Amino acid sequence: MITAGVDVGLMNTKIVILRDKEVAAQRTKQSGGGGRGETVKEIWQDALKDAGIKPKDISKVVATGTGKKDVSFADKTVVEAVAAARAARFLYPESTSVVDAGADMTHVVTLGEGNTIREVVMNQKCMNGLGLVIEVMADRLGLTLDEISALAPAQGKTNPVNDGCPVFAELDALGLLNIGVDRREVAGAVTDAVVVRLSSILNDKIRPQKDTTVFIGGLAKNLAVTERLKERSGIHFLIPENAEYGGALGAAVIATDM
Amino acid sequence: MNKQRWETRPLEIWGKAKELRAQWQRSINEAAERPGAMLAHGNTGEFDWSIGFDDLTVIEDNPVGAMMASKSDAFSRKCRLASEVRGWGREICGYVQNCWGSQFLGYEMDDGAFPFRDMSIPFPDPCDQHLKRGQQCMDLSPIPRWGADYPMYLGPLDPKREQAFIDHTVYCYLQIIDDIERIFDHKFDDEKMIGSLNILPALREQALRISRLMTHTPAPIGQKELYSFYTLGLLTKVDPKETLDFWTSFADEVQWRVDNHIAAVATERFRWMEAHPSPWNFLKYFRYMEKYGAVCIGSQYSHIISGPIELGEDGQFHHIQRKKPPEGQEIRTREDAFRHIFTEARGYRFKDDEYCRKWTITDFAKGFHVDGAIMPLWRGGVGCTLTRKEQGLRLSEMGVHVLHYEGSQPGDRTDLDERRFLDQLDTWMESLGLEKLEA
Repeated sequence: MITAGVDVGLMNTKIVILRDKEVAAQRTKQSGGGGRGETVKEIWQDALKDAGIKPKDISKVVATGTGKKDVSFADKTVVEAVAAARAARFLYPESTSVVDAGADMTHVVTLGEGNTIREVVMNQKCMNGLGLVIEVMADRLGLTLDEISALAPAQGKTNPVNDGCPVFAELDALGLLNIGVDRREVAGAVTDAVVVRLSSILNDKIRPQKDTTVFIGGLAKNLAVTERLKERSGIHFLIPENAEYGGALGAAVIATDM
Repeated sequence: MNKQRWETRPLEIWGKAKELRAQWQRSINEAAERPGAMLAHGNTGEFDWSIGFDDLTVIEDNPVGAMMASKSDAFSRKCRLASEVRGWGREICGYVQNCWGSQFLGYEMDDGAFPFRDMSIPFPDPCDQHLKRGQQCMDLSPIPRWGADYPMYLGPLDPKREQAFIDHTVYCYLQIIDDIERIFDHKFDDEKMIGSLNILPALREQALRISRLMTHTPAPIGQKELYSFYTLGLLTKVDPKETLDFWTSFADEVQWRVDNHIAAVATERFRWMEAHPSPWNFLKYFRYMEKYGAVCIGSQYSHIISGPIELGEDGQFHHIQRKKPPEGQEIRTREDAFRHIFTEARGYRFKDDEYCRKWTITDFAKGFHVDGAIMPLWRGGVGCTLTRKEQGLRLSEMGVHVLHYEGSQPGDRTDLDERRFLDQLDTWMESLGLEKLEA
């Protein structure tokens, strides 16, 4: 059985194709901005080519992500939290919670029995766009995402930026640059602000368990974020190799049930 | 998954409700035109000033501001801007901004002239911006403004302090009456005021019938209906007898709906409650939730028309036993009357609950058999989101699924992201395994 999951995020679209519940292909491409529906179709064609299959070979396609409505060829859409929960259980059957943090939203999902969900906490409005703010700052600071990811933990934190709002954080960061603070220190301060916001979502209601919490989404690929979050929260996250494909994988797994 | 489908139909009482609301609006318009009549901004909840002062019409800014927010976001924005440029911050209640912004503009939503007030008697509330309210109209023109205190304290209920607070509140009201009599040369009618004391309890009896009937599955009516009617007799007062007749007929009709299994939502399979008012400009989320077979059975706020109620051991809501004057001691004076009103009200308003009756919100959830709760986090205004997260945790601990969303406040749509709110509802429902029953 071949199924596919399409996760259309704020910045990127991710596609996972499963053949008998094994990953046959996965593709990602930037798809933010206008004309997203057409870009999604292009990525879809590339993914099919990678897997060496035709559209008729696919049993079901499930879409998720903030742009899920743009997937015209999907048989069903599911919300991000549901896709994240299925991905977590698929990758780590013993998992009890999953954190899904990308360019846009952050979800913390507490898993219930089987494939059920006990609780979902979504970020507050001021915490939207945590991944996006890092991307924007990387651009402003002339650093790559890999360079930001490799940043050492901040020492002393003498120049913090606002950790209540990504927009204020960006303005503070630009202010630091204007007074000559080193760009790597500024990037570290922005990362710290993102981590503060993430940890507040973790502490909202049911606190995720220390050793059975999965972390997926684009931010899970950022080592500086995950290490600092681990330090702050005490949670030893289970991070899959292709964490950014978590939502698409979960959607593809759901498609196998249809 | 429950696939039961019940019959549903509109309430027949609708026509009468609209008529009463129109009467209220007419009474304001007429008072604004009538020579010698006094127009006040103020409270008509626990005590209607116009009962004691014949020629006084009181306009609440809550329903006025909420109506603006609901009917015309464009006008509401104009009003808020007019208010903001005069230095009134965005955290001030949206009702106030709408209502008094309209005053600054000089016209109302329907282009009619703004009825300028002769005095302001804002009501005290633990929110608390209510007392701040009259200041805007007082700043614009030199009219008298009063504000009774709303004394509160933290910690367990203390009978001695309670008594002192009741005495103080009574004193405030007596002082206001003396001042109005002196300044406006109008006599307060003690007899009429004392005679009116039985009106609100009688109305509450009928409203309690409705609250109790709403514990039934399927819910015979939902929050949409409560919101349409709950101001009648409280914030938008008209003829007391007609109002009581309305509530009696309303309760009878709800009883008939229960007897005949007429549902508010034909596909009811999920019941949810709320906390405090909704965003009045975005009420369509109630219908959106109906697509999932979800019905809102109200909130402590919208059931307030029933008066102070509590969940009994029989699983039914009852009025909290009112404190009455000692045997043989009649209510003879306005002071007796006010003491009676405030003794009954003290500590039994849901906004006081977080300091003296924390269990009421969980009892509310239990009594109405709710599966979920939507609890807004407002940036300002009504309730100021006081202890909302703590309440959410307590509900969550008893197995109620809680969703928080953010916005400015009920009368101000600025910070409410409608798309995001609907996405949150989708996430909430789908994560509980409920998919839309209709597109």
